[in-house]
Amino acid sequence: MPPSVQHLVLWLIPLAPLTAAIVTAAVGPTLLRQRSHLPCWLGIAVAMVCAWVLLFSIVPGGFTAHGNSPVVASGYQWIDVGGVNVGVDLHADAMTAIMLAMVTTVSLLVAVYSAGYMHDDRGYARFFAFVSLFVFSMCMLVLAASFLLLYVFWEGVGLCSYLLIGFWYRKPSASAAATKAFVVNRIGDFGFIIGVILIWTTFRSFDFTVVLGHPDHIAQVVAAHPDRITLICLLLFMGAVGKSAQFPLHVWLPDAMEGPSPVSALIHAATMVTAGVYMVARCTPLFAASPTAQMVVSGVGAFTALLAAVIAITQNDLKRVLAYSTVSQLGYMFMALGAGAAGAAVATFGVTAAMFHLITHAFFKSLLFLAAGSVMHAMGDVIDMRQFSGLRRRLPITHWTFLCGALALGGVPPFSGFWSKDEIFASLYTAAHAPGREGYFWLILISAIVTAFVTALYTFRAYFLTFWGEERFPVEAGAHPHEAPPVMAWPLRILAVFAVGIGFVIGPTALFAQYLHHTAGFAEVAEHGVIVGLMTVSALVVLAGVALAWLLYSRLPALPRKFADEFPRLYALSLNKFYIDEIYVTLFVAPLRGVSWLSNWFDWHVIDPIVDGLALVPRALSGVPLWMHNGLVPSYALIMWLGLLGCVLFAMRLLPY
Amino acid sequence: MMGDLESYLAVGAVLFVLGAIGFFTRRNLIVMVLSAEMMLHGVSLTLVTFGRLHASLEGQAFTIFILTVAACEAGLALALVLALYQRSKSLDVEFWTELREPDLPPPMLVDDAGQMPMVTPPARFPRLTPAGRVPENLDTGDRELVDDAASQTADVPTEPPQPKEVIKSVSH
Amino acid sequence: MDWISQHRLEIFALALIAGGVWWLMPRPARLPKFVGLLMAICGAGLLAGRLHAAAGPKAQSLLFFAFAAAAILSTILMITNRNPVYSALWFAMATLSVCGLFLMQYAPFLAAATVIVYAGAIVVTFVFVIMLAQQSGATIYDQRPRQPLLAIVFAILLLAALLSTLQTSSAVDFQFANRHLAAVAVEPNSLSRPPADQYGTMLALGRSLFGDYLFAVELGGTLLLVATIGAIAIAPRRRGGSL
Repeated sequence: MPPSVQHLVLWLIPLAPLTAAIVTAAVGPTLLRQRSHLPCWLGIAVAMVCAWVLLFSIVPGGFTAHGNSPVVASGYQWIDVGGVNVGVDLHADAMTAIMLAMVTTVSLLVAVYSAGYMHDDRGYARFFAFVSLFVFSMCMLVLAASFLLLYVFWEGVGLCSYLLIGFWYRKPSASAAATKAFVVNRIGDFGFIIGVILIWTTFRSFDFTVVLGHPDHIAQVVAAHPDRITLICLLLFMGAVGKSAQFPLHVWLPDAMEGPSPVSALIHAATMVTAGVYMVARCTPLFAASPTAQMVVSGVGAFTALLAAVIAITQNDLKRVLAYSTVSQLGYMFMALGAGAAGAAVATFGVTAAMFHLITHAFFKSLLFLAAGSVMHAMGDVIDMRQFSGLRRRLPITHWTFLCGALALGGVPPFSGFWSKDEIFASLYTAAHAPGREGYFWLILISAIVTAFVTALYTFRAYFLTFWGEERFPVEAGAHPHEAPPVMAWPLRILAVFAVGIGFVIGPTALFAQYLHHTAGFAEVAEHGVIVGLMTVSALVVLAGVALAWLLYSRLPALPRKFADEFPRLYALSLNKFYIDEIYVTLFVAPLRGVSWLSNWFDWHVIDPIVDGLALVPRALSGVPLWMHNGLVPSYALIMWLGLLGCVLFAMRLLPY
Repeated sequence: MMGDLESYLAVGAVLFVLGAIGFFTRRNLIVMVLSAEMMLHGVSLTLVTFGRLHASLEGQAFTIFILTVAACEAGLALALVLALYQRSKSLDVEFWTELREPDLPPPMLVDDAGQMPMVTPPARFPRLTPAGRVPENLDTGDRELVDDAASQTADVPTEPPQPKEVIKSVSH
Repeated sequence: MDWISQHRLEIFALALIAGGVWWLMPRPARLPKFVGLLMAICGAGLLAGRLHAAAGPKAQSLLFFAFAAAAILSTILMITNRNPVYSALWFAMATLSVCGLFLMQYAPFLAAATVIVYAGAIVVTFVFVIMLAQQSGATIYDQRPRQPLLAIVFAILLLAALLSTLQTSSAVDFQFANRHLAAVAVEPNSLSRPPADQYGTMLALGRSLFGDYLFAVELGGTLLLVATIGAIAIAPRRRGGSL
């Protein structure tokens, strides 16, 4: 493909959704109204076609060839001040192409689904304008050629997330959740921007090609400042922790479920929350230079995965179960990203595993959220699993697609989640066998396997509670809950096909690993064979989890209750999310409230009187010429006349100069 | 020493200044507008004189434009005067002090405070002898006007009370 | 001090005029009018004598004095009369006198136009408005001037400044102005400078207006239209459609 066409394709990917957003925002509420989804569909479809074209054209000389050559399309010079030199440039390589294909495909399916889900909503046009804007920001985030541009659109997707969580802004809980998401993300982004600035002071550039493309330069920096790279990596990871909802900043993601279900599927499962994973994967050359940072990444991921999985067991809100499972699965990805602490060769393996899980997770998790949205649609916006059960006959399509997603999420072979999770286990296993940090990675691997068991348990708990048992509906659903309309059903079916098949197609065939090789800055890695023993353990653990869920929630429904009564402390701990929100309120919110009360008092009683006192001076002075402003036209004319007199006398030189 | 031209300039200056005096001192809105027109006369005279000084007709051309603007100004000013009169039933400029600083009292209260008795009788215009019957469809606004005038004149001892019909028929 | 002692007669004349105007100002206590008039006439006469307008043939000089005196006296009476109707009539009188002065300055068209527009149209409109808005009988605001002393003093001060400019700087500056104009090679507005035998004719004035000032004339016409619409819009109306 000639470079000019390739650049055009590159630019079309973000600009088509942007155009759609502008058009929808401009004429949506007045002209398009219930047809507002058309520009959004069209824009994302164009972006998707371009992304797939890019996917097949970016790698030179076929999959098996080695070497990489990122395509950089220059836009315009954005900042040129002193030594700082930032352009709006697009940077595309294999990782970008994979991300873009996933983002645009899921976005298109979700946009189609939304047309049915948001039907007759008052903010129909607003919704699609926001979604288009989000797709634009996400594509630009993935395509950004420099850390600064990445940061700009990092904030851009955060803004869209805020707007869409608070989409139903009349609902107090929705606006509170939006604010919470924004504020918690600020903490992470604070670290991220400091990391970006530190990158500039270290490398004197923001460009990926300059910073990441020269391993010898990174080695020099490590030699000169041993701790500098670790600091940069930890700060960047802080941003990823915020965006990808890892402990301790994971608290915003479950609350973000206040937004419409398609938003949860698109932003808070498939795309935006994976931006942190993408960013850490993109910075692999940096992280590979700092084993300490990678161990932190791995540890945080493992802890978050287990914590969120345990919380998810007891949640009653279907969407919250899925939200905690998202947090948990993102933890898996970070575990794999951190596996490189055991050596540079493992690093590429781990990153490949993480990206693979990212892709499969995007498909099956958005499928699960859309299916949950379909349940919600049928149940009259009720999502509490205690209020309905046995829906499999009334909602057959939703049931089957949800089952596909659950099998994939649970990691049941041969569905996609099994393959990607197995890759992660394999990378951790390899790390645990590499010399140096065996104990640490054995711990991580064991916790990962335990998490896999819990994942299967809570996933099928939700499945059995929702679709099996006696048939019950809440009053809000009306007498006959209806199955999703075709515009919602078809995206579910397509996503189900992806969720079932994508892992099997690209995982064991090493298609994915071969492709991702071509990413800039990745070390060459030898082929890893399939570790059969690990695979067997994983499959057995998962099947045990599914069986336990079937036993507890389908065969003996009284048992969980009894268990909860037996261990009330444990149950309450999980149900209340380990009281993390409450701890934050006590530790941070309450002291801040006190400080703000104090400064408010100071403002009112100290600063305001000073300002008011100063204001008294001009007021007193203004009393002197006040009499002239009596509102009478002749009086004003007389004063003007005095001025005229002065001018004439001055012109006659009767006044002193 | 002054020649021919300077005498005209002197007259223009005098007219300008006298018009200004009228504008400053009179409180009747109509007389104020008249005084402003007088100032324009002074300026016109000066312009024509200067034109003659330079042997060009530009001064006269300017004066024609002044004439145009003065006509516009008179029309608009009188329309405004009428609108103001509709609001306040008075032509006093001191009634309209909305632009003053909010701390200041309205000048009417300071100045007149109602203690100013009407000393002179109203001007005696020649009156027609009333003839025919009193018209019935008088507008209320005019009736108030007539009543106001009647109550004002009623305070004056020297004015002999007149029958109301006479006043009405005269004022229309 | 020297300047004042040299010009004491002029100052006295101006003071006389000021005193006359002040005397004539409408006020509740009735002062004999003729005293003020006499003061104003004496002042104006004295001033005219001092300023010494002697140029031109005798008859023209006499006419000038007649028109100037009429204009000034009418103006004084206009601004001092307590009855607005009389004020309007004195205004018409002053206008006519100014028109006489125009005629004497080779501006016949201007004189005619002023008579038609002012005396014929504007004064009539004024009288109409007075009839519509004036309350019968004298009102308080027609009998009490605002700050008469202050206004008269400042106004006469400016007059004194203007007149003294005329008196002191006339000869030199006017010569300079003429020489300066002759020195300019390409005159702007050449249509406005007719040959001496055509000065003041309708033909020349028309050339100036529709040559040099064509756009301004169009603008003036537009202004008239806008002002008409504005006046109609502003003027209050009642249910019956009458004023």
